[in-house]
Amino acid sequence: MKSGKKKPSGRAMGAAVAGVDIGSIFTKVVIIDAESYDIISFSIMRSGASHENASRSATKDALRAAGMSLEDLAYVVSTGYGRSRVPFADRQITEITCHARAAKFLFPDAHTIIDIGGQDSKVIRIDAAGRVTNFVMNDRCAAGTGRFLEVMAEALEVDLGKMTELSLRATKNIEVSSVCAVFAESEVISLIASGHEKADIAAAIFRAIARRITGMVGQLGVQERVVMTGGVAKNEGVVRALEERLNVKITVPEEPQIAGALGAALLAAESLK
Amino acid sequence: MVEKKEYKLNRLETTKLIGPMVDKHWAELREAKEHGEKVAWCSGPLFIFPYAMGMKCHFMAGYAAYCAGRKAGDQVLEAAEADGELMDTCSYHRLHTGMAAAILRGRPVRKEVILPIPDLLITGRLCTEMAHYAEALYRRLKIPVVAVDIPPPRRKEDLPRLERFVVRQIKESLIPALEKVCGKEFDEEEMRRILRVLKKATTLRNQCWEFFKLKPTPWTLWDYGVSIAPVFYMMGKPETVPYYEKLLAELKERAAKKIPAILPDGEKYRLYWDAWLPWAFLGMFIRKFVSYGAVPICGRYPWEFFPHPEYIDPDADDIVKNWVELYYTKGHQAMVMMTEGALEQIMELVEEYSIDGLVMFASKTCRAWVGQREIVNEIERRLGVPGVIIEADMVDSRMVSEAQIETRLQALFETIDARRRR
Amino acid sequence: MIRGLEPFLKAVENPYKTVSEWKERTGKKVIGCYPMWLPKELVHAAGLLPVVVWRSDEPVTIGHAYVHTFNCGLTRSFVDDAVRGKLDFIDGFIIYRTCLQAQELPFILEQHVRPAYLEYLYLPAIFPGAATKDFLIEELERFKASLEEFTGKEITDGELRRSIELYNENRRMLRRFYEFRRKNLGVLRAREVMAVVWSSMLVPKEEHNTWLRELLLELEERQEELLKEPRVKGDLKVVLTGALCQTPQFEILDMIEDLGMVVVDDDLYVGSKYFANDVELDGNKRPLEALAEHYLKREPTCPTKGDWEMDWTDEIAGMVKRGGADGVISLLIKFCPPHLCYYPDIKRGLMEAGVPEVMIEVEHEIVSLEGVRTRLQSFAESLRRGA
Repeated sequence: MKSGKKKPSGRAMGAAVAGVDIGSIFTKVVIIDAESYDIISFSIMRSGASHENASRSATKDALRAAGMSLEDLAYVVSTGYGRSRVPFADRQITEITCHARAAKFLFPDAHTIIDIGGQDSKVIRIDAAGRVTNFVMNDRCAAGTGRFLEVMAEALEVDLGKMTELSLRATKNIEVSSVCAVFAESEVISLIASGHEKADIAAAIFRAIARRITGMVGQLGVQERVVMTGGVAKNEGVVRALEERLNVKITVPEEPQIAGALGAALLAAESLK
Repeated sequence: MVEKKEYKLNRLETTKLIGPMVDKHWAELREAKEHGEKVAWCSGPLFIFPYAMGMKCHFMAGYAAYCAGRKAGDQVLEAAEADGELMDTCSYHRLHTGMAAAILRGRPVRKEVILPIPDLLITGRLCTEMAHYAEALYRRLKIPVVAVDIPPPRRKEDLPRLERFVVRQIKESLIPALEKVCGKEFDEEEMRRILRVLKKATTLRNQCWEFFKLKPTPWTLWDYGVSIAPVFYMMGKPETVPYYEKLLAELKERAAKKIPAILPDGEKYRLYWDAWLPWAFLGMFIRKFVSYGAVPICGRYPWEFFPHPEYIDPDADDIVKNWVELYYTKGHQAMVMMTEGALEQIMELVEEYSIDGLVMFASKTCRAWVGQREIVNEIERRLGVPGVIIEADMVDSRMVSEAQIETRLQALFETIDARRRR
Repeated sequence: MIRGLEPFLKAVENPYKTVSEWKERTGKKVIGCYPMWLPKELVHAAGLLPVVVWRSDEPVTIGHAYVHTFNCGLTRSFVDDAVRGKLDFIDGFIIYRTCLQAQELPFILEQHVRPAYLEYLYLPAIFPGAATKDFLIEELERFKASLEEFTGKEITDGELRRSIELYNENRRMLRRFYEFRRKNLGVLRAREVMAVVWSSMLVPKEEHNTWLRELLLELEERQEELLKEPRVKGDLKVVLTGALCQTPQFEILDMIEDLGMVVVDDDLYVGSKYFANDVELDGNKRPLEALAEHYLKREPTCPTKGDWEMDWTDEIAGMVKRGGADGVISLLIKFCPPHLCYYPDIKRGLMEAGVPEVMIEVEHEIVSLEGVRTRLQSFAESLRRGA
């Protein structure tokens, strides 16, 4: 669990609104000032078995950090995989629209958004006005998702957080060709068995993810600026592999994991108007 | 406990000659336009017609083998995907739209696998997706298409009328289109010349095939696979005949000296291999086979290449008809594309070549080799020979799992062992 | 409540039951025809009951042993039905090479269903040239003779004409029905529209025509009243495209509407493609030739027919323009090669034409409808923000 409070700017405080993003693995809540769009507080916690419970406790955490109660929220937008199971939401909006909104807010010149979450990945194209013009989504297999990374880290027997560091020590260019998590896991195991360095394998895993995502990006075409959101964006190894593959610079927001919730909160603020 | 035997592949010398021959062919194709020659992209058994007109010709499935040989398959597929192709689409199709994307939109692809934009797209709709491929390329390149429907026959009584239909299309559509593009009359004499060379090459090749009947076998289906170009896209070239002469001589020598394809003393399992040869994964498969003492011996796809050279008649009155007869009333080659004809042929192969087991190579993006599961069921039932399905792809490495292949192959060999003990 | 819709909705609830009941009631033999372009008029003229085979709503079971998993839902479900004995009540089957997957079927049917009648037709790709038309007519002659042999009764030109006229009447009424839908948005639900077309593939045309006449009468009489209280309330208009050979799950259609999108038009097979063209009979032409010409029509575009010059994208874009639609929903049947090979061009073409589009992959065994919902909802949201 993680929660935090951001310092509001000196502007006048408006009503508080929240975005609640229930992902397959993590639930994220962001509370913002509906006037200034400043982030008041946020929280991140495991989604667990009940989306409803997760939404309640994550919201409670964010509210506590902000020193508020549920009644103080003027509008709540839910998003993500479990968006329909947030009992106190005023409206539910998909994570595609929310990530697009957040990316546009954070980087006004964003045109392509890559969102890699726990169980799915999406590529979203937005126009100059921030409107979604097209998107592709992979949610039918673990390929190119946070789950894929987790499984690979387990097969490698390394901490997921240390994989980037490990991959930087790669010296040989080997390949994990499969994009299917089940296939790739056995590939990784046999690479270890045949004596390959874990550093090389870690780098190969990042390239495999990059390859899958590149295929999706290709369907829409790359247009800069490319912003990456979602929990996996915190993994530098993946970001670098993608930059290399796509041959573009990728911008990652400070807290990529809460982008969906932030977008939802921004849309909540807009709903008040 | 029995000590595990160490098997080792014993490569042929002749097959080492094929690389440079093939490279020369593709280099000529790449440079054709610079020399003012006409180029056709072709699918189905029609490439002899542009060849007869002196065109340089690219052949759909041959290109896959070429890309795989240069380890460029994945890169071209990636270019296709970046151009919007979806992974479930035929890999051969994606290779071509990927190449088109490289030409049209500058998607990064290695230079040696980029072919010149053709003057004509020729599609032989033996497999329906061969038509889709031409259609998709037409939408991108806007180059004239000439298409011939080549329906695979289900029953022998269907052969004559399908043959007439194909002959008419070739005469009424394909040949006039070729004449228009090339600005000259159809060169029947050149076609006869090609057929003379092809007849020699395929006759020799058939004599080579006979050696697959030997136990132990002196060569493997993979040796044959890499030797396919001389009876395929290199047909009619004079160097194709000496190639098969050398191959035949080497096989004769091996047979006389009882030198097996795998050392120390030949194969433990003789396998039938179904469908495409796995162009991008030939090495991986043969290493696995050999480690178990198994050898792939024959298959439905290689068999498609002129099993009956005796029917090739370079002096036939109607040379077009003679060609089509190879696929219909005489050679029956088009029949392997339907379950009925395939089953009959595979049963013959299993008996004639003393096959111990079937490996059905199921490409996840290809549905052309129909009936694979039914064929395994039926051959098991009728002949008691077991089979295994391997799901992979002819080009796309993302769909290939070595661990899965390993398990299935091992299961097949265990089944064969169990039957032998009985 | 539209009473005239009831028989259609009931007919598609359980196609197995519907077809076997009609078999019993008419005493006619049932012939299962594989989609999409078989000339079913000939089967009708032979005194048989042609039905278009369908995808069941059950997951594939033992059928897995007979057909690869990477075949489309219809193929896998049809094979599963065949090996499980669910098709035993059907007297005969007619298959043609719609795509590669259909080539698997005659053998499997012969092995496992052993129908009294099985015909594999070589309907050609519609490549230009006299050879195609001549071959097609020859093939239809042979087909006619094979039906005659099966029934022991000659099919006269007069009978064939009457069958064609009956089918044309059905097509004309279905077109009128679609015209009503276009002009009275929200009155008909997408699943109802699909049920009306699908049932035409399952029940005798004579009966279907009677139902259609009554339905059209009711709709036209109650038009004003129905328009006042539209049953689908949406602020967005969409065109559906794709879904070759089979129906998507009705839940997907409902979801589209629940998210505020009204279907103005479609080019689905179980939709406007099915009844687009009449078989043109004129005084002198042999009816068989008229059937051949109907098959050779290049519009509506169908990627299974092998026509490289017709542009499917233009057709869809035209439909969007005519209906004033906000966007296009592509229903791509998982593992449908003819559609797969075309789809990237449609997507690019629509993008270039400025027509928003989203693709929904239609699987036989839907893993989760949630993913479909997220795509559709995002699409709707993007259309709204664009407005």
